[in-house]
Amino acid sequence: MSPELVVTGMGVISAIGQGKDDCASALLQGKHAFDVMRRPGRQGVSAFIGAEIPQIAFPDKMRSQTFRAASLSTQAAMVVLKEAWDEARLSDVNPDRVGLIVGGSNFQQRELTQLHESFRERPQFLKPTYALSFMDSDLCGFCSAEFGIRGLAYTVGGASASGQLAIIQAAQAVMGGQVDVCIALGALMDVSHWECQGFRALGAMGSDRYANEPALASRPFDRDSDGFIFGESCGALIIEDRKTSERREIQPYAVLRGWGLAMDGNRNPDPSLAGEVRVIQSALQSAAWSASQVDYVNPHGTGSVLGDAVELRALRECDLTHVHINATKSLIGHGLSAAGTVEVIATLLQMRLERLHPTRNLVNPVDADFHWIREPTIHRIEHALTLSFGFGGINTAVCWQSDR
Amino acid sequence: MRNKTQILELIAHSTREIVPDLESHVFVEADRLADLGANSVDRVEIVMLVQEALSLSVPRVELFGPKNVGELADLFLKKLDVA
Repeated sequence: MSPELVVTGMGVISAIGQGKDDCASALLQGKHAFDVMRRPGRQGVSAFIGAEIPQIAFPDKMRSQTFRAASLSTQAAMVVLKEAWDEARLSDVNPDRVGLIVGGSNFQQRELTQLHESFRERPQFLKPTYALSFMDSDLCGFCSAEFGIRGLAYTVGGASASGQLAIIQAAQAVMGGQVDVCIALGALMDVSHWECQGFRALGAMGSDRYANEPALASRPFDRDSDGFIFGESCGALIIEDRKTSERREIQPYAVLRGWGLAMDGNRNPDPSLAGEVRVIQSALQSAAWSASQVDYVNPHGTGSVLGDAVELRALRECDLTHVHINATKSLIGHGLSAAGTVEVIATLLQMRLERLHPTRNLVNPVDADFHWIREPTIHRIEHALTLSFGFGGINTAVCWQSDR
Repeated sequence: MRNKTQILELIAHSTREIVPDLESHVFVEADRLADLGANSVDRVEIVMLVQEALSLSVPRVELFGPKNVGELADLFLKKLDVA
């Protein structure tokens, strides 16, 4: 019999809070932190709006030397991993049977750009650790050393679907018996001004339209949106067989019932209705759910004009217009590599708290027939579907059932 | 021209930068960086910081060998003489 996969621990950080409690209360209150981005290395020819983490609180019992040597993405990863690790009491699990899948690729671009600029005139004195730090897998090295992970640790890249891809990969690692417990971590995408400029040049990132009103810029599914707004975030989620969790008497957040992964066969950023419909249907099928059972969808919903419209058409085509739906990116922005993991965490927090967070700036929905959650709402999520799509035609969908 | 005391001070300063736990450690010539908690990567970083402070650009292999902080300072002095 195949194992029943459950989520036993979570850790999260975003611009509106560090830790699950802070983040959950900020989400439910509809808080945001959008402003002109000020982190060094993110200023371009024009200002970019986004949501930046004000500061990362240093976890107790972590060596300051380790933390100081780590990049922003790695610091965020260690903080969320610590939160999830302690909650799931992973110190009581054989470290040979623990794995870590990091979602994201090329996620430390700002750090690298800063370093290149700093050593441009004196390359002979380049920090030797650059040979380690330029690779994203350095984050796996830091985390496996800090937490003593001995099973597996590697990165998977799937553009903006990376975070959810990591969850799928972690689930497969447990299903396949490679490890008993696997952590999926959506890495903080630390963009530099180059990536912001590129996203804007491509027409993906929101324009200057709301330059003087940053609070209005991130507006998924609204007719006055013209692109996504970036937001720093990072999340970790622990997946394991219910049997191993029972040995440690952990009350799971939810059961992972099924998932779908589908490619469009397309290198470009544009979404595919057929691909999204296919991935939703395959996820529902693997969970043995009918569409009518789903009562909540956490959509990809970035604020992209075409992306949002296609996603709603896909949901409509899959008979999912009845669901409760809100857009987490309206509050924390688009975390790119982190988004898929962080939004699943937002979903499972809402499930546990029996409340739904509002969607900000949703004034004129692209499709008004949906059950949009615009104000904090009491609702017990039973069957949730989470969606994450990425450039290069990657589509992912995951089904979560409450474990009350 | 730098003297040995100055170089020892530079080594101590760079070591504290890479290993902050040594903030209050009083360095002596017989100190071995490895024994002070600097792993192999930390040691390479420390040597590079000292090289930069001395504007001493020499291949890494020429700085292998010293067994303690005093010997490392002597080697830096020798390289500075040649440079």
